[in-house]
Amino acid sequence: MTDTLTAPPEVPEQEPLGSIEEPLWRVRLRLTKRSLVQNWKLFVANRIGLVGLVMIVIFALMAIAHPILMATVWPSQIYHPINGYDAPVSEKLVVEEVTDPVTEVDLTTARIQYGPFTEIGETVSISQQPAPPSFGGPNPHYLGTDPLGRDVLSQLLYSTRSAFFLGLIAAMVTVVFATVVGSVAAFFGGWVDSVLMRLADLILLVPLLPVLIVVSALFRISLPLLGLLIGILSGFGGTAIILKSQALQVTVKPFLDAARIAGGGNGHLILRHVIPNVLPLSFLYMMFTVTDAIALEATLSFLGLLSIPMSWGIMISIARTQGYLLGSLEYWWLLVPAGLAVSLLAAAFFLVGRAMDEVVNPRLRQR
Amino acid sequence: MATPNGRKLLEVDHLVMHYKTKKGDVSAIEDVSFSLAQGESLGLVGESGCGKTSVAMSLMRLAADNARYLNGEIRLDGEDLLALSEEAMRKRRWKSIAMVFQGAMNSWNPVYTVGDQIEEAIDLHIEPRPTEKQIRERMSRLFEMVGLNPAMLDRYPHEFSGGMRQRAVIAMALSCDPRLIIADEPTTALDVIVQDQILKELKKIQEKLGMTLIYISHDIAVIAEVTDTIGVMYAGKLVEYGSTLEVFHRPKHPYSYLLLSSTPSITGPRRKLAPLEGEPANLLDPPSGCRFHPRCPFATEICVTDEPPLEDKVPGHKAACWHSDRVPVTIGVAV
Amino acid sequence: MLKYVAKRLIQGLLLLMLFLALLYILLDAQPGDISLQLSANPRLPPEAQEIVRERLGLDQPLLGRTVTYVLNFFQGDLGLSFTQYPRTVGSVILEKLPRTILLFLSATILAYYMGFALGKVMAWRRGKTVETGLTLGGVAAYTVFYPWFAILMLWFWGFQFGLFPLGKFIDVDEWTGAPMAANRVFMRMLISLGILGLVLGAVSLLAHRLPPERGEQVARYGPPLVLVAFLAFWWLSPLRSYVADIAHHTLLPVLTLASVQFAGVMLLTRASMLETLKEDYILTARAKGLPQRDIRNRHAARNALLPVVTSLVLALSFVIGGGILTEGIFSWPGIGGQLLDATLTEDIPLATGTLGVIGIIALVGHLISDVLYMYLDPRIRTS
Repeated sequence: MTDTLTAPPEVPEQEPLGSIEEPLWRVRLRLTKRSLVQNWKLFVANRIGLVGLVMIVIFALMAIAHPILMATVWPSQIYHPINGYDAPVSEKLVVEEVTDPVTEVDLTTARIQYGPFTEIGETVSISQQPAPPSFGGPNPHYLGTDPLGRDVLSQLLYSTRSAFFLGLIAAMVTVVFATVVGSVAAFFGGWVDSVLMRLADLILLVPLLPVLIVVSALFRISLPLLGLLIGILSGFGGTAIILKSQALQVTVKPFLDAARIAGGGNGHLILRHVIPNVLPLSFLYMMFTVTDAIALEATLSFLGLLSIPMSWGIMISIARTQGYLLGSLEYWWLLVPAGLAVSLLAAAFFLVGRAMDEVVNPRLRQR
Repeated sequence: MATPNGRKLLEVDHLVMHYKTKKGDVSAIEDVSFSLAQGESLGLVGESGCGKTSVAMSLMRLAADNARYLNGEIRLDGEDLLALSEEAMRKRRWKSIAMVFQGAMNSWNPVYTVGDQIEEAIDLHIEPRPTEKQIRERMSRLFEMVGLNPAMLDRYPHEFSGGMRQRAVIAMALSCDPRLIIADEPTTALDVIVQDQILKELKKIQEKLGMTLIYISHDIAVIAEVTDTIGVMYAGKLVEYGSTLEVFHRPKHPYSYLLLSSTPSITGPRRKLAPLEGEPANLLDPPSGCRFHPRCPFATEICVTDEPPLEDKVPGHKAACWHSDRVPVTIGVAV
Repeated sequence: MLKYVAKRLIQGLLLLMLFLALLYILLDAQPGDISLQLSANPRLPPEAQEIVRERLGLDQPLLGRTVTYVLNFFQGDLGLSFTQYPRTVGSVILEKLPRTILLFLSATILAYYMGFALGKVMAWRRGKTVETGLTLGGVAAYTVFYPWFAILMLWFWGFQFGLFPLGKFIDVDEWTGAPMAANRVFMRMLISLGILGLVLGAVSLLAHRLPPERGEQVARYGPPLVLVAFLAFWWLSPLRSYVADIAHHTLLPVLTLASVQFAGVMLLTRASMLETLKEDYILTARAKGLPQRDIRNRHAARNALLPVVTSLVLALSFVIGGGILTEGIFSWPGIGGQLLDATLTEDIPLATGTLGVIGIIALVGHLISDVLYMYLDPRIRTS
């Protein structure tokens, strides 16, 4: 913001005052750096925001750790998050055939599950999947394995990467859409404004989750497509409306008139003057979009509506559809790590957003 | 200023108040004493941040949470307000001391009618509680007194113009017959013509009701219109105190002199304005000796080392300056 | 004021039409030819295929088809369900809608009531341990992965403590020999709740109109009395055990949904209160010698309420999403669960019809919060 406020618009780039003064870009750079340092100080003053940032960094490290672990210590056929398989096997001796005393059903049929031809006195091996966390042995599974015998920790780390990927796409699309729509609506006003804002009203009004549910029934939705959809819907909706009102405050400022008189075209004015002033707020709402995107992806995966190989939501979805979550928490490792990961990463972005809010909106600052 | 018989209505006695902050203590009020008899009016003047609003807020006991009273008393009718419990003080607010605020434009809660908000104060403070009809009559009378149509009582604040809102604020301040009214820059946000109307109205009401008034402003010309006595504050200290005429024509403190000569006069003869140079003192680390010395044209060695006492220069006209005799007489400032 | 409401109503109607049109276009744009997919669906008996073909007006251009769809929707004709043939989508939705409305409404009211009350206290006690604790709890509840939270709630209250049934709407064993169908009992409950709401509203209005001392008495003793009367009515009713069964099944989903919504309201109220407390009129109120409680409730909270009501619109999407998940996880037979089922079984008419109805719910919510805002803010009311 300092950038456009202090750099006089009458100084056009095509005629640099180069040799006499410092080049303009260097002035800009210095001002940007100074405002960044100031904002960073404000941000750090808010402990909660810092906690969020630390959490994001931890998750980022987890995402980076996965390919490294796969390349070094984790053999692919066991630890691959999607195709891996490992089930601890325990040897059991078949002692007797049992008949249930009440129903008199011959329980020997239950032997089927140990293999079709077991007899009394034979040993059968039972492979355990899902298996609880194990720390010893050649292939420890620190968070156990899932109902298909895959390592939960590996899935958790792998999914972190896709969560970041999704968040990044959604955030960038939101910033672009919200900034452009908000700036254009505020700058041109009139029917352009009306059309864009009515559309934004509609998008804001329509509940996101049911729409995505129905859309996922009609189309195959992959991770990038989902990011794009969430980005457009949240960028074109509420965020665009908020950014428009911010942009409106800029369009009435005298420096915009000065720039217009100096011969700046519409494109130039929007690009150099309106957008830079709207951008900080835009980045703020981007954080909240990331929170939404992570939660929405997990929700849709949980409902089994996305065509994504692996994600936190899918981890819970598999446990649920296979009936491991009914009532008890006996198979807690199928539910708790993934659920916590979704909640914590969403919370981390939310906290950073809140802290940024205090930097961007000075009214909220605590004295 | 000594008056012969007995106690004054308000006595502020060696008041010291600091704000505790992370960076250290801000000395907002430093050893301020003054007194006010029933029916008198006092003007407090100074630049912003000189402590005049802190004095007003201390009289109401509404200073920020980090305010610490290190010394002194504020006696209203002989009763030390600083020693009262919060509950006892609450009962005295508006009934004993009412206030017209700096931001009077926003003094009204937007969601209630102006009448409801005045009635709220009457309900709280007038014993025994008057009937609905009596309250209505009382409010109508007040509105007429400040020059508003009583029908406006049922309107919301946003339906009032700035000047009307300010008149209504004055009506609300009068609603419980307070012993003392503090007006803190009540006309600052208004345009000059409305400002003048309101000042005249205030003066008229003050004379009619024999109201005791403390008027706070950074504008010494405005203060002169309404008050009998002026106190000039600089950096938390009272530096000059005397009758309005005296201070106006024969200031005994260089700061008062510079304040006066930096104020243009519309009615008086044309004169050169002397600008007041420099920044107001940093109250986190106030200058040694006389707090005004870094900006004072007459400052000498003694001003840096020793603090001048506030003492009578002429009977009834006090100033805290080592070089009072060098302060010139102001010319051509109309009162 | 009436003009304002009318204007909003018309705007809302236009938005709804636009929404339905977009919905249809979306439907039309799905991969593969929709006509083929619908008319050649093997799950559909031939006569239904005929109806589908006719209704879709396959010879018309896209615009014409869209208009037909929107017009049909407004006439309550939402088509036939694939999976529940020969029932119409309209009848399926109509059966389930009241239950969804109960869930959404009671959770929202509870969340806003509690969130506002607590947010108010938080701002008032800024910097105290209570505030830090509530903020952290609020952020946690606001960002928690909702299905996960619901499963944990179900496990904790239903399984661990056995306080609540594990989902569903009624306990079938209890209802053998019941004098009327569960839905009729439920409708009666809903109506009685509506009456309760109206009576409570009337009491609070009365408390406002009466002189302060009497009004305060009415405000203090009125609502509890009305509540006792309400409970006594159902206690003495012959349907007592059935009503209790439905209520028992309703409580946990409502509480789960409310506790997540509540967090958002609480955080927002806190922020809004902090803004309000800086206003000059708060200083005026203090100078007037008002007791702390009056300053907080009459002056600060009353103004802080305005942004919170506005946020109702922004929160609607959140509420509805949460409601759908709640219905899915608690097997609550409402339209949210319906939407999920229809999507998973690819019952396209039912899914889109339900989505349309959800859009209407959002719109009505929007309208209510608009009117509420207007009622609360004299600056809009009197202009």
